[in-house]
Amino acid sequence: MMPAIYVLDVEEFAPLVRDARAMGGVTVAGPTQGYFRIFSPGEITFNRKSLGFKPAVWYGALTGGLVGRVAEFSRDTLRIVRE
Amino acid sequence: MSHITTKAPLYGVHHTARPTWKLKETVEFYRDRLGLPLVHAISARGWGPEDHADFLHFFFDSGNGSTIAFFYYIGTTQPEYLASRDDYRFRATHTAWQVKHPDDLNLWRKRLIEADIPLRYETRHEIIESIYFEDPNGYSVEITCQLRPMTETDARDATLTIESAIALEQAGSGYTDIDTVWRRKGALLEAQIGGNA
Repeated sequence: MMPAIYVLDVEEFAPLVRDARAMGGVTVAGPTQGYFRIFSPGEITFNRKSLGFKPAVWYGALTGGLVGRVAEFSRDTLRIVRE
Repeated sequence: MSHITTKAPLYGVHHTARPTWKLKETVEFYRDRLGLPLVHAISARGWGPEDHADFLHFFFDSGNGSTIAFFYYIGTTQPEYLASRDDYRFRATHTAWQVKHPDDLNLWRKRLIEADIPLRYETRHEIIESIYFEDPNGYSVEITCQLRPMTETDARDATLTIESAIALEQAGSGYTDIDTVWRRKGALLEAQIGGNA
């Protein structure tokens, strides 16, 4: 199954949707029932500085839900791959 | 729990209470340095449990009808299990006061400097911005500004997160990371809306 994340449709997580829309090979669907679904046939990689996230929000960025596996979750890089 | 039907109202915090073995320092901290008026004090013989010490129970006004209260047990020493420690699990028990505007947080930053109270930490969380410091007892105090209202969307999401974690706990899965909760929640949402999102 291709990796996907769910992002709650609220302002503090909106940068995830914004950055995902600018990524090649990544699709943003929704919001449906309050969630965006961000998915890709490859990997999904976010950069904390680009998102403008402080650590308290960054380390909770996947709270909406995850399909796949976190391959990297460092101070500035979050990389999600298929299971 | 269908037998629980009575609707019983609440209207916010009246007081929280914790013990202190530093009477003077606690009064100076809350009344004089933070500026919370001392508004009520009980002084009484110990009663109830036979070994209950004589005590003081005193309250500081923390705004909007709320108070923060302390017990001072006369002639007692602090038991080891209540000693403060530099540990995030100890700081999990804390008081968070509310201000209405981010500018109010700046006023508190200024007040803490004037009062010579070290700011321990400050951060923007998801829907609140907070500053943290400690009282003379080692108790953690937070002042926070909520930046937007909590909505039905937040409540539904909270239920999904917590129910996912409860299900994992009930299954005895012995999970040790949050990713497991995120994956369970992801699976629920895939079944619910995955193909349609």
